Amino acid sequence: MAFELTNHTSKPVTAREKDSSGDSLSPTDTQKDTRFAYIDNQPYEIREGETQLQFIRRNLGQDIVPTLCDAPNLEPFGSCRVCSVDVALQENGAVRTQASCHTPVAPNSYLYPNSDRIQKLRKNIIELVLTDHPLDCLTCEVNNNCELQTVAAKVGVRDVRYPAGKNHLDRKKDLSHPYMTSDMSKCINCSRCVRACDEVQGQFVLSMAGRGFDAHIVKGANQNFFESDCVSCGACAQACPTSAISDVFESKSIANTEKTRTICTYCGVGCNLEVATVNGKVKSIQAPYDAAVNEGHTCLKGRFAFGFYNHPDRLRTPLIRRNGELQPATWDEAYDYIANELTRIKKEHGPDFIAGISSARCTNEENYLMQKFIRAVIGTNNIDSCARVCHSPTALGMQRTFGTGAATNSIIDLKYTDLIMVIGANPTEGHPVTGAKLKQFAMKKPAIVIDPRRTEMARYAKYHLQLRPGTNVALLNMMLYYIIQEGLEDKKFIENRTEGYEEFRQKILALNIDEAEKVTGVNRELVRKAAIAYASAPNAMSFHGLGVTEHTLGTFTVMQIADLAMITGNIGRRGVGVNPLRGQNNVQGAADMGCQPHQGAGYLDVTDPENHKKYEAFYSAKLPDYVGYKIPQMYQAALNDKLKALWLMGEDVVQTDPNTHHVKAALAKLDLIVVQEIFMTETAKLAHVVLPAASFLEKSGTFTNGERRIQRVQQVTEPLEGTKPDGQIMIDIMNRMGYAQKPYHPDWLLAEISQIVPFFAGVKWNELGDNGKQWPVAQDGSDTEILHTDSFKRGKGKFIAAEWRETPEILKNGQEFPYIITTNRELEHYNNGTMTRRTGNVKILTEDVLLLHPDDAARHDIKSGDMVCVISARGKVDIKARVTDEVKPGVMSSTFHFPEIAMNNITSSECDTDALCPEYKVVACTIRKSKGKYKEEQK
Amino acid sequence: MGRKLLLEHANIEGIASYDVYRKNGGYRSVEKALKTMTPDEVVEEVKKSGLRGRGGAGFPTGMKWSFLAKPEGVPRYLLCNADESEPGTFKDRYLMEKIPHLLIEGMITSSFALGANQSYIYIRGEYMYVLRILEKAIAEAYANGWLGKNILGSGYNLDLAVSPGAGAYICGEETALIESLEGKRGNPRIKPPFPAVKGLWGCPTVVNNVETIAAVVPIVNDGGDEYAKIGIGKSTGTKLISASGNIRKPGVYEIELGISVDEFLNSEEWCGGMKNGKRLKACVPGGSSVPILPHFLVTKTAAGEDRLMSYESLADGGFATGSMLGSGGFIVYDEDQCIVRNTWNFTRFYHHESCGQCSPCREGTGWMEKVLHRLEYGHGKMEDIDLLWDIQRKIEGNTICPLGDAAAWPVAAAIRHFREEFEWHVNEPQACMQRNYGLVAEKVFAPASV
Repeated sequence: MAFELTNHTSKPVTAREKDSSGDSLSPTDTQKDTRFAYIDNQPYEIREGETQLQFIRRNLGQDIVPTLCDAPNLEPFGSCRVCSVDVALQENGAVRTQASCHTPVAPNSYLYPNSDRIQKLRKNIIELVLTDHPLDCLTCEVNNNCELQTVAAKVGVRDVRYPAGKNHLDRKKDLSHPYMTSDMSKCINCSRCVRACDEVQGQFVLSMAGRGFDAHIVKGANQNFFESDCVSCGACAQACPTSAISDVFESKSIANTEKTRTICTYCGVGCNLEVATVNGKVKSIQAPYDAAVNEGHTCLKGRFAFGFYNHPDRLRTPLIRRNGELQPATWDEAYDYIANELTRIKKEHGPDFIAGISSARCTNEENYLMQKFIRAVIGTNNIDSCARVCHSPTALGMQRTFGTGAATNSIIDLKYTDLIMVIGANPTEGHPVTGAKLKQFAMKKPAIVIDPRRTEMARYAKYHLQLRPGTNVALLNMMLYYIIQEGLEDKKFIENRTEGYEEFRQKILALNIDEAEKVTGVNRELVRKAAIAYASAPNAMSFHGLGVTEHTLGTFTVMQIADLAMITGNIGRRGVGVNPLRGQNNVQGAADMGCQPHQGAGYLDVTDPENHKKYEAFYSAKLPDYVGYKIPQMYQAALNDKLKALWLMGEDVVQTDPNTHHVKAALAKLDLIVVQEIFMTETAKLAHVVLPAASFLEKSGTFTNGERRIQRVQQVTEPLEGTKPDGQIMIDIMNRMGYAQKPYHPDWLLAEISQIVPFFAGVKWNELGDNGKQWPVAQDGSDTEILHTDSFKRGKGKFIAAEWRETPEILKNGQEFPYIITTNRELEHYNNGTMTRRTGNVKILTEDVLLLHPDDAARHDIKSGDMVCVISARGKVDIKARVTDEVKPGVMSSTFHFPEIAMNNITSSECDTDALCPEYKVVACTIRKSKGKYKEEQK
Repeated sequence: MGRKLLLEHANIEGIASYDVYRKNGGYRSVEKALKTMTPDEVVEEVKKSGLRGRGGAGFPTGMKWSFLAKPEGVPRYLLCNADESEPGTFKDRYLMEKIPHLLIEGMITSSFALGANQSYIYIRGEYMYVLRILEKAIAEAYANGWLGKNILGSGYNLDLAVSPGAGAYICGEETALIESLEGKRGNPRIKPPFPAVKGLWGCPTVVNNVETIAAVVPIVNDGGDEYAKIGIGKSTGTKLISASGNIRKPGVYEIELGISVDEFLNSEEWCGGMKNGKRLKACVPGGSSVPILPHFLVTKTAAGEDRLMSYESLADGGFATGSMLGSGGFIVYDEDQCIVRNTWNFTRFYHHESCGQCSPCREGTGWMEKVLHRLEYGHGKMEDIDLLWDIQRKIEGNTICPLGDAAAWPVAAAIRHFREEFEWHVNEPQACMQRNYGLVAEKVFAPASV
């Protein structure tokens, strides 16, 4: 039969029926009140939508009800039945057993979480589970930290009444992967790993095969971890209650008990990490479930790629170039050398012949010190940071339209929005934890993806506008045009909150749609539908990445995104806004701290006399009142003999800045290059002095993530012998050059910063807690999740129209070099890869590859795995091809994680017209099959 | 001779074809519903009829339909559960094979009542030949304008498709069926939310058994009140019974609910009494999942009243002395049958069919099978009987779906009513072996195979 017997276990207990005889029993007040339910006959208030388990745990603590298939970051599943409780409709009435993890708590129900019956049931269930689980606890990796072991001990299983029968104890271990391990003989089929893979990461690699007693976990198409599509996020390992799935660092072992909470160094998401150490050595990393940003999740970089920190390649002593060679030196020698040289250059040429590039990898405090050093000690505004090469157009564009160059909303807003628009960002690779959330969103609700590549997000999105690189402005103009044409503007919002709309509207309506459709290569009907979807969603949130900013019209594109938000009223409340996905862990902070030539700490214009006075008084130093060099201008100045010294804090400009030839030529002209680094990077190789710095695990401070959240980085381990935190190096040199600065201590420095950066007013080290605070933080310590709620920072939001122009790169070189190559990132590697290439990640992704369309490949007789020579007006590189329809014909894509390939040899020196952010995303090139040797396909 | 509502025309030559079916009054209910009634009126008739789900649980169909959530702009689905897999039940197959258009007609009328524009028949994979019969019937219905756009000019659109299962009993559980239909592993879902709120693709969904949907046809044709006149008490209408076991005339019978078990078992019209003059030992009246009844509780209740073929009478006495009508899989055992062996056989089925999601069922069904195997093959100990009782108690009511209950109940009832036979297996294993297998003991005392 098709059986559908009444399932009496899963129906909620109905509210206590009104019983006329009840009066004589004179029930207490709470019994009539539907706000209460009872645990062991004691009344407790219930909360809307709570399950019985949540209700019991909230009132009586975690340990009252044991669970196996339940996990803090997963949906209730109800399969282990260990959480069962007895439920009655009246005090000590007839009971029914229900799985508390997924049964809603009903008003006036009576829960008995530990009745004799229930204890016996739990014991019996665990006994059954143990018949198919090895009893080798003493030698098990998770001994004493195993949920099954704990529950078995709690319910008091003393023996197993079943004789040895058929079991799965002979399953083989899977040690194929550099990080993930599995020993499925330990599996208890709770499905937590499967659900973590589905619900947390959204990768769908793990699944259950077979049925009944034969049900077992499979990876991919019954492969091992390495062969499967696993992205090594480790969510399954963290979710597994036993050691069935774990990792090579044995992160669930109790040997790794000393734990320090800190912030991930890799990207702008700002995941909280719990780092376990033994004897001062980092053993493993897990993601805390109570972390506001990552909620118990992190990616393979955050969780596993920490091995670089004590890698033999770490720099351990200062180096000074003598006789053309970098030779070991003492700190004193290095400091003296630098101080003498800087003093000489300052005296001979003036302070403006010195410049500094700060690092978005370093803490707020270190960035603050760096700009303070350059401004107050050297006396120039020639300070910039790598925000220049990523999100400087975002800062500028959003400042012009809204008044503040930062994300308007928070990631938690994804829970409140109805539509997301992802422009020029590949978050599942670049911002994996936020990416996983965006992907989960796109699986459930509509998403618009604007990207030249069919990224993972694009595959899940309802609308993918696959435009030609360099035509963002034309495409967004089309969207604006259709929104106006369809009459979908939020007229009230425009009226009350904005200015410049009429002029803007006229300009947009004058758009030549035919031309826009032609240059973007995106069907106008698709654009119209996407525009309507964005404009008519009750709440729409936009996210953008470097695909927006790294163009000649980057700042204008950002302003258009702001226009889109304003024209549809999608700003200033939950679930909306303009949200740049900041690239590096502290790129927001580097700009906040004033590492840019036109604005000091707190974004105050250095040319404004009032600000100038304020800064001079605060730093007790004479400061210039004119704007300094941006990074590309520094190279130009060097080539023109206008710059003599460059100080780089953790920035590998040779590998990562575009047009390597140009950069190298500029550096060759300098008298002094100081590099603070943890590895011998391509830039460090050219330095005159190299100072060995400490990694994020070895210092304290704060990082500010992409949602303006200032979080505490806490020192996990002592700096490697011979190294110093970057902040200490800055302080040492400041003191050496005669400027008194107290020793590096985040507490003291934050106190100093909070006095000069207005939106840090209430930031105190001790009050930041585990989850930090989102700026602006008021004097009283209250923080801000959403910006521009009542009015914009600049008063009224300003509409600014942009006109599309072809990039000079195409105009100049398009004829000779007909293909476009656009650069991007891969999940496994981070930027120039100095860190990730020194971890197991390099075994997962071994090299940069060139993605090209089958049509283009066929034209040049190229197959996947062939070496291809890519030639631009600047130079050429040899790179392995991967033929894929992820890109459109005529468009290619690659990464620059590996110095062997040095992709920036071919990128151009074209920049954003306003913010001078380099145009990494459009490079005119041509290809031919390489004469070089073919490399073996490694993965 | 009882009235037949479903199988009345089942034996007419060519009734499986559209023309013959139509000539014999087929598709009248669709005409009546679409031309003269509102969807709510159809639901009202079904409510009035007192029709109860024929898949086993016996939940009132009209009430189930009225629970269906109807949010604006969200599609609703009607799914026909044709995943008939329970041992001892084969009525749906008979109906679909013989008179497929009756199900199609019922699907159209019911879909109209529920406002579903896309409906599915989820059929057991082993019934592939029946699937072909249904697909042919659906094609005929499309060709004659009973399916597709604007049916009978009413503006109502309906598409109907058949989707086969892949050999899993669990997919007969409605939420597992939905998962399977969505292309996923057939694991039951936790409830709430119930399918009426969040079913197929997260949309409001009704899942009904084949026979239930077929019964909507006479209910709409003749009116709910007319249907409710048949039967007894809350057991209205007719019911298909799959009769099997040691009876003279096994087969599928349509009975009016309320006839006595004695009449059904012994009259020539139905089962025709015990085969070969053997004595009745036990009876499973509602498919393998329901409790087995010993001979003295089959035709009489514990109170000494006549046992009737109705939901209430078969359940009289609760699980202590009663059973359930279930899906109507009426299995009869004569004096030669071994209850331990029969229970082991059922348990083997449930062990094989457990999806493996809930620990009590995944591990427990296996151990029940092992312990029963041990007892049956003469390796049992007296404690095993208590252990068996203990396992079934831990499974019952402690799983996401009712498969756990279905696995536990037959074991519980067998021990409850036939404990002596279990003890006999422990005390005199050789005698048992001889009776059950006609073999001398030494030859079969091989190591347990599971």
